[in-house]
Amino acid sequence: MHLIDIYIQEVTRRIPEKNREDIALELRSTIEDMLPDNYSEKEVKGALTSLGNPALLARGYADRPMHLIGPRYFDMYATLLKMIIPIVAMLALIVVITENIISYNGEEAILGTILTILGHGIWGMISSLIQTFFWITLVFAILERTDALNDKTPLTPNWKEWTPDDLKSIPYIKKEKKISKVDIFGSLLWIAIFVAVYFNAVHLIGVYEKIQGKLQLVIPTFNQDVLYSYWLIVLFALFLEVAFVFYKFIAAQWTTKVAIMNTVRTVVSTVVFILIFNEDNLINLEFYKYLEDLFHFTFELHGPVKVGFILMWIVFAVIDVVQGFRKAKIRG
Amino acid sequence: MSKLLNSLITELRRGTLTLAVLSQLKTPQYGYSLVQLLEKSSVSIDQSTLYPLLRRLEKQELVESSWDTTESRPRKYYVLSEYGKEILEQLQAEWEKTTLELQTLLKGDVENAPD
Repeated sequence: MHLIDIYIQEVTRRIPEKNREDIALELRSTIEDMLPDNYSEKEVKGALTSLGNPALLARGYADRPMHLIGPRYFDMYATLLKMIIPIVAMLALIVVITENIISYNGEEAILGTILTILGHGIWGMISSLIQTFFWITLVFAILERTDALNDKTPLTPNWKEWTPDDLKSIPYIKKEKKISKVDIFGSLLWIAIFVAVYFNAVHLIGVYEKIQGKLQLVIPTFNQDVLYSYWLIVLFALFLEVAFVFYKFIAAQWTTKVAIMNTVRTVVSTVVFILIFNEDNLINLEFYKYLEDLFHFTFELHGPVKVGFILMWIVFAVIDVVQGFRKAKIRG
Repeated sequence: MSKLLNSLITELRRGTLTLAVLSQLKTPQYGYSLVQLLEKSSVSIDQSTLYPLLRRLEKQELVESSWDTTESRPRKYYVLSEYGKEILEQLQAEWEKTTLELQTLLKGDVENAPD
Protein backbone atom coordinates (compact mmCIF):
# COMPACT_ATOMS: atom_id res chain seq x y z
CA MET A 1 0.00 0.00 0.00
CA HIS A 2 2.73 2.36 1.06
CA LEU A 3 4.74 1.90 -2.12
CA ILE A 4 1.69 2.58 -4.26
CA ASP A 5 1.08 5.90 -2.46
CA ILE A 6 4.63 7.02 -3.00
CA TYR A 7 4.53 5.94 -6.65
CA ILE A 8 1.36 7.97 -7.27
CA GLN A 9 2.85 10.95 -5.48
CA GLU A 10 5.98 10.67 -7.63
CA VAL A 11 3.85 10.81 -10.77
CA THR A 12 1.40 13.52 -9.74
CA ARG A 13 3.94 15.96 -8.36
CA ARG A 14 5.30 16.26 -11.90
CA ILE A 15 2.04 17.06 -13.66
CA PRO A 16 -0.17 20.17 -13.71
CA GLU A 17 -2.23 20.64 -10.57
CA LYS A 18 -5.65 20.57 -12.23
CA ASN A 19 -5.20 16.98 -13.44
CA ARG A 20 -3.56 15.53 -10.36
CA GLU A 21 -6.57 14.26 -8.48
CA ASP A 22 -8.16 12.51 -11.42
CA ILE A 23 -4.92 10.90 -12.58
CA ALA A 24 -4.12 9.77 -9.03
CA LEU A 25 -7.51 8.07 -8.73
CA GLU A 26 -7.19 6.38 -12.10
CA LEU A 27 -3.65 5.22 -11.40
CA ARG A 28 -4.64 3.73 -8.07
CA SER A 29 -7.53 1.81 -9.58
CA THR A 30 -5.30 0.60 -12.42
CA ILE A 31 -2.59 -0.61 -10.05
CA GLU A 32 -5.12 -2.37 -7.89
CA ASP A 33 -6.58 -4.00 -11.01
CA MET A 34 -3.21 -5.54 -11.68
CA LEU A 35 -2.95 -7.01 -8.18
CA PRO A 36 -4.69 -10.03 -6.62
CA ASP A 37 -6.88 -9.51 -3.53
CA ASN A 38 -4.27 -10.17 -0.86
CA TYR A 39 -1.13 -8.91 -2.48
CA SER A 40 2.42 -9.00 -1.22
CA GLU A 41 5.04 -6.31 -1.58
CA LYS A 42 6.70 -8.36 -4.27
CA GLU A 43 3.56 -8.29 -6.36
CA VAL A 44 3.24 -4.52 -5.86
CA LYS A 45 6.79 -4.13 -7.10
CA GLY A 46 5.94 -6.23 -10.13
CA ALA A 47 2.93 -4.05 -10.97
CA LEU A 48 4.92 -0.84 -10.52
CA THR A 49 7.71 -2.20 -12.72
CA SER A 50 5.26 -2.70 -15.56
CA LEU A 51 4.14 0.92 -15.17
CA GLY A 52 7.74 2.04 -15.34
CA ASN A 53 9.67 5.04 -14.09
CA PRO A 54 7.21 7.59 -12.61
CA ALA A 55 9.10 10.42 -14.32
CA LEU A 56 8.49 8.74 -17.67
CA LEU A 57 4.82 8.21 -16.96
CA ALA A 58 4.46 11.82 -15.83
CA ARG A 59 6.13 12.98 -19.03
CA GLY A 60 3.35 11.28 -20.96
CA TYR A 61 0.69 13.05 -18.93
CA ALA A 62 2.24 16.50 -19.05
CA ASP A 63 1.00 18.41 -22.07
CA ARG A 64 3.69 21.03 -21.96
CA PRO A 65 7.00 20.82 -23.84
CA MET A 66 9.69 18.77 -22.12
CA HIS A 67 12.45 20.86 -23.67
CA LEU A 68 13.60 24.41 -23.12
CA ILE A 69 13.76 25.40 -26.78
CA GLY A 70 12.10 23.20 -29.39
CA PRO A 71 12.68 22.57 -33.07
CA ARG A 72 10.65 25.60 -34.16
CA TYR A 73 12.85 28.14 -32.39
CA PHE A 74 16.16 26.34 -32.06
CA ASP A 75 17.57 27.37 -35.43
CA MET A 76 16.84 31.07 -34.89
CA TYR A 77 18.09 30.80 -31.30
CA ALA A 78 21.40 29.29 -32.39
CA THR A 79 21.84 31.80 -35.22
CA LEU A 80 21.14 34.72 -32.92
CA LEU A 81 23.54 33.43 -30.27
CA LYS A 82 26.31 32.94 -32.82
CA MET A 83 25.79 36.50 -34.04
CA ILE A 84 25.46 38.26 -30.70
CA ILE A 85 27.90 36.34 -28.48
CA PRO A 86 31.10 37.36 -30.35
CA ILE A 87 30.01 41.01 -30.50
CA VAL A 88 29.25 41.10 -26.79
CA ALA A 89 32.49 39.31 -25.92
CA MET A 90 34.50 41.70 -28.06
CA LEU A 91 32.84 44.85 -26.70
CA ALA A 92 33.14 43.70 -23.08
CA LEU A 93 36.81 42.83 -23.46
CA ILE A 94 37.65 46.09 -25.22
CA VAL A 95 35.70 48.29 -22.81
CA VAL A 96 37.20 46.68 -19.72
CA ILE A 97 40.79 46.67 -21.04
CA THR A 98 40.61 50.27 -22.28
CA GLU A 99 39.08 51.42 -19.02
CA ASN A 100 41.84 49.76 -17.05
CA ILE A 101 44.73 51.03 -19.17
CA ILE A 102 43.43 54.59 -19.12
CA SER A 103 43.01 54.58 -15.37
CA TYR A 104 46.54 53.17 -14.91
CA ASN A 105 48.60 55.70 -12.92
CA GLY A 106 52.07 54.27 -13.52
CA GLU A 107 52.74 53.61 -9.88
CA GLU A 108 51.96 49.96 -9.60
CA ALA A 109 54.13 47.11 -10.78
CA ILE A 110 53.73 46.72 -14.53
CA LEU A 111 53.60 42.93 -14.80
CA GLY A 112 51.06 42.67 -12.01
CA THR A 113 49.00 45.38 -13.64
CA ILE A 114 49.01 43.66 -17.03
CA LEU A 115 47.86 40.44 -15.40
CA THR A 116 45.18 42.29 -13.43
CA ILE A 117 43.95 44.04 -16.56
CA LEU A 118 43.83 40.77 -18.49
CA GLY A 119 42.05 39.13 -15.59
CA HIS A 120 39.52 41.93 -15.42
CA GLY A 121 39.03 41.78 -19.19
CA ILE A 122 38.44 38.04 -19.24
CA TRP A 123 36.18 38.21 -16.21
CA GLY A 124 34.18 41.08 -17.75
CA MET A 125 33.89 39.07 -20.96
CA ILE A 126 32.71 35.92 -19.19
CA SER A 127 30.14 37.69 -17.03
CA SER A 128 28.66 39.61 -19.95
CA LEU A 129 28.56 36.37 -21.98
CA ILE A 130 26.66 34.61 -19.21
CA GLN A 131 24.24 37.53 -19.00
CA THR A 132 23.64 37.56 -22.76
CA PHE A 133 23.27 33.80 -22.93
CA PHE A 134 20.81 33.83 -20.03
CA TRP A 135 18.55 36.56 -21.38
CA ILE A 136 18.42 35.26 -24.94
CA THR A 137 17.68 31.76 -23.67
CA LEU A 138 15.00 33.08 -21.31
CA VAL A 139 13.26 34.99 -24.11
CA PHE A 140 13.23 31.93 -26.37
CA ALA A 141 12.07 29.61 -23.57
CA ILE A 142 9.12 31.94 -22.96
CA LEU A 143 8.38 32.14 -26.69
CA GLU A 144 8.42 28.34 -26.85
CA ARG A 145 5.87 28.14 -24.04
CA THR A 146 3.55 30.87 -25.26
CA ASP A 147 3.43 29.73 -28.87
CA ALA A 148 0.12 27.91 -29.06
CA LEU A 149 0.65 26.67 -32.61
CA ASN A 150 1.93 23.15 -32.65
CA ASP A 151 4.17 23.89 -35.60
CA LYS A 152 7.61 22.31 -35.71
CA THR A 153 9.01 23.89 -38.87
CA PRO A 154 11.84 26.35 -38.27
CA LEU A 155 11.04 30.05 -38.39
CA THR A 156 11.90 32.02 -41.48
CA PRO A 157 12.94 35.69 -41.29
CA ASN A 158 9.55 36.94 -42.50
CA TRP A 159 7.54 34.48 -40.39
CA LYS A 160 6.05 32.82 -43.47
CA GLU A 161 6.55 29.41 -44.93
CA TRP A 162 9.87 28.89 -46.70
CA THR A 163 9.98 29.42 -50.45
CA PRO A 164 12.95 29.36 -52.84
CA ASP A 165 12.53 33.16 -53.16
CA ASP A 166 13.91 33.47 -49.62
CA LEU A 167 17.30 32.51 -51.04
CA LYS A 168 17.44 35.69 -53.11
CA SER A 169 17.88 37.84 -50.01
CA ILE A 170 20.92 35.87 -48.83
CA PRO A 171 24.30 36.85 -50.30
CA TYR A 172 26.54 34.05 -51.51
CA ILE A 173 29.95 34.50 -49.95
CA LYS A 174 33.01 32.67 -51.18
CA LYS A 175 35.40 31.45 -48.53
CA GLU A 176 38.35 33.41 -49.92
CA LYS A 177 36.39 36.67 -49.92
CA LYS A 178 34.93 36.30 -46.49
CA ILE A 179 35.82 38.75 -43.73
CA SER A 180 35.97 36.68 -40.58
CA LYS A 181 34.69 37.70 -37.16
CA VAL A 182 38.20 37.06 -35.83
CA ASP A 183 39.51 39.69 -38.27
CA ILE A 184 36.96 42.23 -37.01
CA PHE A 185 37.61 41.33 -33.40
CA GLY A 186 41.38 41.58 -33.85
CA SER A 187 41.14 44.99 -35.53
CA LEU A 188 38.94 46.45 -32.80
CA LEU A 189 41.10 45.03 -30.03
CA TRP A 190 44.21 46.40 -31.70
CA ILE A 191 42.63 49.87 -32.05
CA ALA A 192 41.57 49.87 -28.39
CA ILE A 193 45.02 48.86 -27.19
CA PHE A 194 46.62 51.44 -29.46
CA VAL A 195 44.41 54.28 -28.13
CA ALA A 196 45.07 53.30 -24.54
CA VAL A 197 48.82 52.99 -25.03
CA TYR A 198 49.29 56.06 -27.26
CA PHE A 199 47.65 58.46 -24.86
CA ASN A 200 49.30 56.82 -21.88
CA ALA A 201 52.73 56.05 -23.34
CA VAL A 202 54.58 57.98 -20.64
CA HIS A 203 53.29 55.46 -18.08
CA LEU A 204 53.61 52.34 -20.15
CA ILE A 205 56.49 52.26 -22.64
CA GLY A 206 60.08 52.72 -21.60
CA VAL A 207 62.84 51.33 -19.44
CA TYR A 208 61.71 49.32 -16.48
CA GLU A 209 63.83 48.72 -13.43
CA LYS A 210 63.29 46.72 -10.32
CA ILE A 211 62.98 49.13 -7.43
CA GLN A 212 62.22 47.70 -4.00
CA GLY A 213 61.20 44.43 -5.57
CA LYS A 214 58.74 46.15 -7.92
CA LEU A 215 59.15 46.62 -11.64
CA GLN A 216 58.84 50.35 -12.27
CA LEU A 217 59.08 52.61 -15.27
CA VAL A 218 62.09 54.84 -14.85
CA ILE A 219 62.67 56.32 -18.30
CA PRO A 220 59.78 56.68 -20.76
CA THR A 221 60.69 56.09 -24.40
CA PHE A 222 58.48 58.77 -25.91
CA ASN A 223 57.91 62.40 -25.24
CA GLN A 224 54.29 62.42 -24.20
CA ASP A 225 53.94 66.13 -25.07
CA VAL A 226 54.91 65.40 -28.65
CA LEU A 227 52.47 62.51 -28.83
CA TYR A 228 49.70 64.68 -27.39
CA SER A 229 50.37 67.50 -29.85
CA TYR A 230 49.26 65.22 -32.68
CA TRP A 231 46.04 64.16 -30.98
CA LEU A 232 43.75 65.63 -33.62
CA ILE A 233 45.15 63.80 -36.63
CA VAL A 234 45.65 60.61 -34.61
CA LEU A 235 42.01 60.69 -33.60
CA PHE A 236 41.05 61.33 -37.21
CA ALA A 237 43.04 58.28 -38.36
CA LEU A 238 41.53 56.20 -35.57
CA PHE A 239 38.05 57.32 -36.49
CA LEU A 240 38.71 56.13 -40.05
CA GLU A 241 40.01 52.81 -38.72
CA VAL A 242 36.94 52.21 -36.59
CA ALA A 243 34.59 53.25 -39.40
CA PHE A 244 36.40 50.85 -41.71
CA VAL A 245 36.08 47.97 -39.24
CA PHE A 246 32.34 48.55 -38.96
CA TYR A 247 32.03 48.78 -42.73
CA LYS A 248 33.88 45.47 -43.06
CA PHE A 249 31.59 43.94 -40.46
CA ILE A 250 28.48 44.95 -42.39
CA ALA A 251 29.90 44.09 -45.82
CA ALA A 252 31.09 40.68 -44.51
CA GLN A 253 33.14 40.13 -47.67
CA TRP A 254 35.83 41.86 -49.71
CA THR A 255 34.38 44.05 -52.43
CA THR A 256 35.97 46.77 -54.54
CA LYS A 257 34.37 49.33 -52.20
CA VAL A 258 35.92 47.69 -49.15
CA ALA A 259 39.29 47.56 -50.92
CA ILE A 260 39.08 51.27 -51.81
CA MET A 261 38.17 52.16 -48.22
CA ASN A 262 41.07 50.01 -47.08
CA THR A 263 43.39 52.01 -49.34
CA VAL A 264 42.13 55.33 -47.97
CA ARG A 265 42.58 54.33 -44.36
CA THR A 266 46.02 52.82 -45.06
CA VAL A 267 47.19 56.00 -46.81
CA VAL A 268 45.89 58.16 -43.95
CA SER A 269 47.50 56.05 -41.25
CA THR A 270 50.77 55.93 -43.19
CA VAL A 271 50.83 59.72 -43.54
CA VAL A 272 50.09 60.14 -39.83
CA PHE A 273 52.81 57.64 -38.96
CA ILE A 274 55.40 59.41 -41.11
CA LEU A 275 54.42 62.81 -39.70
CA ILE A 276 54.83 61.70 -36.10
CA PHE A 277 57.87 59.55 -36.76
CA ASN A 278 59.64 62.49 -38.42
CA GLU A 279 59.24 64.61 -35.30
CA ASP A 280 62.72 65.21 -33.87
CA ASN A 281 61.65 65.29 -30.25
CA LEU A 282 59.58 62.14 -30.43
CA ILE A 283 62.02 60.07 -28.43
CA ASN A 284 62.87 61.12 -24.91
CA LEU A 285 66.49 62.34 -24.70
CA GLU A 286 67.01 60.43 -21.46
CA PHE A 287 66.04 57.28 -23.22
CA TYR A 288 68.81 57.85 -25.79
CA LYS A 289 71.26 58.42 -23.00
CA TYR A 290 70.20 55.25 -21.29
CA LEU A 291 70.76 53.24 -24.45
CA GLU A 292 74.17 54.85 -24.95
CA ASP A 293 75.22 53.95 -21.42
CA LEU A 294 73.99 50.46 -21.91
CA PHE A 295 75.55 49.62 -25.28
CA HIS A 296 78.32 52.28 -25.51
CA PHE A 297 77.01 53.16 -28.90
CA THR A 298 75.20 56.23 -30.18
CA PHE A 299 71.59 55.55 -30.92
CA GLU A 300 69.69 58.15 -32.71
CA LEU A 301 66.61 57.90 -34.77
CA HIS A 302 67.68 59.76 -37.88
CA GLY A 303 68.94 59.33 -41.38
CA PRO A 304 69.02 55.80 -42.76
CA VAL A 305 67.41 54.18 -39.68
CA LYS A 306 64.41 56.47 -39.95
CA VAL A 307 64.09 55.92 -43.67
CA GLY A 308 64.36 52.19 -43.11
CA PHE A 309 61.49 52.17 -40.64
CA ILE A 310 59.33 54.31 -42.91
CA LEU A 311 60.07 52.13 -45.94
CA MET A 312 59.19 49.01 -43.99
CA TRP A 313 55.86 50.57 -42.94
CA ILE A 314 55.13 51.54 -46.56
CA VAL A 315 55.95 48.05 -47.85
CA PHE A 316 53.52 46.48 -45.37
CA ALA A 317 50.89 49.09 -46.24
CA VAL A 318 51.23 48.38 -49.96
CA ILE A 319 50.98 44.62 -49.39
CA ASP A 320 47.81 45.19 -47.33
CA VAL A 321 46.21 47.36 -50.03
CA VAL A 322 47.10 44.94 -52.82
CA GLN A 323 45.73 41.99 -50.81
CA GLY A 324 42.46 43.88 -50.40
CA PHE A 325 42.04 44.40 -54.13
CA ARG A 326 43.10 40.83 -54.88
CA LYS A 327 40.41 39.46 -52.57
CA ALA A 328 37.84 41.88 -53.98
CA LYS A 329 38.58 40.65 -57.50
CA ILE A 330 37.79 37.00 -56.70
CA ARG A 331 34.51 36.22 -58.38
CA GLY A 332 31.84 35.31 -55.87
CA MET B 1 18.52 -7.99 -31.17
CA SER B 2 20.65 -4.92 -31.72
CA LYS B 3 19.87 -1.60 -30.05
CA LEU B 4 19.36 0.14 -33.37
CA LEU B 5 16.90 -2.47 -34.59
CA ASN B 6 15.01 -2.17 -31.32
CA SER B 7 14.67 1.57 -31.59
CA LEU B 8 13.63 1.31 -35.24
CA ILE B 9 10.93 -1.21 -34.37
CA THR B 10 9.66 1.01 -31.53
CA GLU B 11 9.50 3.91 -33.95
CA LEU B 12 7.69 1.81 -36.53
CA ARG B 13 5.10 0.72 -33.98
CA ARG B 14 4.56 4.06 -32.33
CA GLY B 15 2.31 5.35 -35.07
CA THR B 16 0.11 2.26 -34.98
CA LEU B 17 -0.60 2.50 -31.23
CA THR B 18 -3.37 5.07 -31.60
CA LEU B 19 -5.09 2.89 -34.18
CA ALA B 20 -4.73 -0.22 -32.01
CA VAL B 21 -6.17 1.53 -28.95
CA LEU B 22 -9.03 3.20 -30.83
CA SER B 23 -10.00 -0.12 -32.41
CA GLN B 24 -10.52 -1.68 -28.97
CA LEU B 25 -12.66 1.14 -27.61
CA LYS B 26 -15.87 0.38 -29.52
CA THR B 27 -17.09 -0.97 -26.19
CA PRO B 28 -16.25 0.82 -22.91
CA GLN B 29 -12.96 -0.28 -21.38
CA TYR B 30 -10.98 0.75 -18.33
CA GLY B 31 -7.22 1.02 -18.32
CA TYR B 32 -6.22 -2.45 -17.23
CA SER B 33 -8.92 -4.26 -19.23
CA LEU B 34 -7.61 -2.51 -22.32
CA VAL B 35 -4.09 -3.72 -21.57
CA GLN B 36 -5.38 -7.26 -21.31
CA LEU B 37 -7.39 -6.93 -24.52
CA LEU B 38 -4.36 -5.70 -26.41
CA GLU B 39 -2.15 -8.39 -24.93
CA LYS B 40 -4.62 -11.05 -25.97
CA SER B 41 -4.09 -9.96 -29.57
CA SER B 42 -0.37 -9.98 -28.71
CA VAL B 43 -0.08 -6.22 -29.24
CA SER B 44 2.42 -5.17 -26.61
CA ILE B 45 2.18 -1.63 -25.40
CA ASP B 46 4.05 0.04 -22.58
CA GLN B 47 1.61 0.90 -19.84
CA SER B 48 3.49 4.12 -19.26
CA THR B 49 2.56 5.02 -22.84
CA LEU B 50 -0.99 3.72 -22.82
CA TYR B 51 -2.49 5.67 -19.92
CA PRO B 52 -1.24 9.06 -21.04
CA LEU B 53 -2.37 8.16 -24.57
CA LEU B 54 -5.91 7.54 -23.33
CA ARG B 55 -5.97 10.99 -21.73
CA ARG B 56 -4.69 12.60 -24.90
CA LEU B 57 -7.37 10.87 -26.97
CA GLU B 58 -9.94 12.19 -24.52
CA LYS B 59 -8.58 15.70 -24.83
CA GLN B 60 -8.77 15.38 -28.61
CA GLU B 61 -12.41 14.35 -28.15
CA LEU B 62 -11.91 11.01 -29.87
CA VAL B 63 -12.99 9.12 -26.74
CA GLU B 64 -15.28 9.90 -23.83
CA SER B 65 -14.68 8.88 -20.26
CA SER B 66 -16.86 8.22 -17.23
CA TRP B 67 -16.22 7.02 -13.71
CA ASP B 68 -18.05 3.87 -12.69
CA THR B 69 -18.42 3.78 -8.92
CA THR B 70 -20.93 0.96 -8.64
CA GLU B 71 -18.28 -1.74 -8.21
CA SER B 72 -16.00 -2.28 -5.24
CA ARG B 73 -13.29 -0.22 -6.87
CA PRO B 74 -13.99 2.95 -8.88
CA ARG B 75 -12.89 2.61 -12.51
CA LYS B 76 -12.56 5.09 -15.31
CA TYR B 77 -14.14 3.80 -18.51
CA TYR B 78 -13.21 5.04 -21.96
CA VAL B 79 -15.34 4.63 -25.09
CA LEU B 80 -15.19 5.97 -28.65
CA SER B 81 -17.12 9.19 -29.28
CA GLU B 82 -19.04 9.75 -32.51
CA TYR B 83 -16.13 11.79 -33.80
CA GLY B 84 -13.77 9.03 -32.69
CA LYS B 85 -15.70 6.46 -34.68
CA GLU B 86 -15.38 8.58 -37.83
CA ILE B 87 -11.67 9.05 -37.30
CA LEU B 88 -11.15 5.35 -36.59
CA GLU B 89 -12.82 4.45 -39.88
CA GLN B 90 -10.61 6.83 -41.82
CA LEU B 91 -7.46 5.73 -39.99
CA GLN B 92 -8.33 2.10 -40.69
CA ALA B 93 -8.78 2.83 -44.39
CA GLU B 94 -5.47 4.66 -44.43
CA TRP B 95 -3.77 1.78 -42.64
CA GLU B 96 -5.09 -0.77 -45.13
CA LYS B 97 -3.93 1.40 -47.99
CA THR B 98 -0.48 1.83 -46.44
CA THR B 99 0.03 -1.87 -45.79
CA LEU B 100 -0.97 -2.63 -49.37
CA GLU B 101 1.44 -0.08 -50.73
CA LEU B 102 4.22 -1.34 -48.52
CA GLN B 103 3.55 -4.94 -49.42
CA THR B 104 3.87 -4.06 -53.07
CA LEU B 105 7.07 -2.16 -52.39
CA LEU B 106 8.58 -4.90 -50.27
CA LYS B 107 7.86 -7.57 -52.82
CA GLY B 108 9.61 -5.39 -55.36
CA ASP B 109 6.61 -5.48 -57.67
CA VAL B 110 7.19 -2.02 -59.05
CA GLU B 111 4.86 -2.29 -62.04
CA ASN B 112 1.75 -2.83 -59.97
CA ALA B 113 2.62 -0.24 -57.36
CA PRO B 114 -0.02 2.43 -56.85
CA ASP B 115 1.29 5.89 -57.65
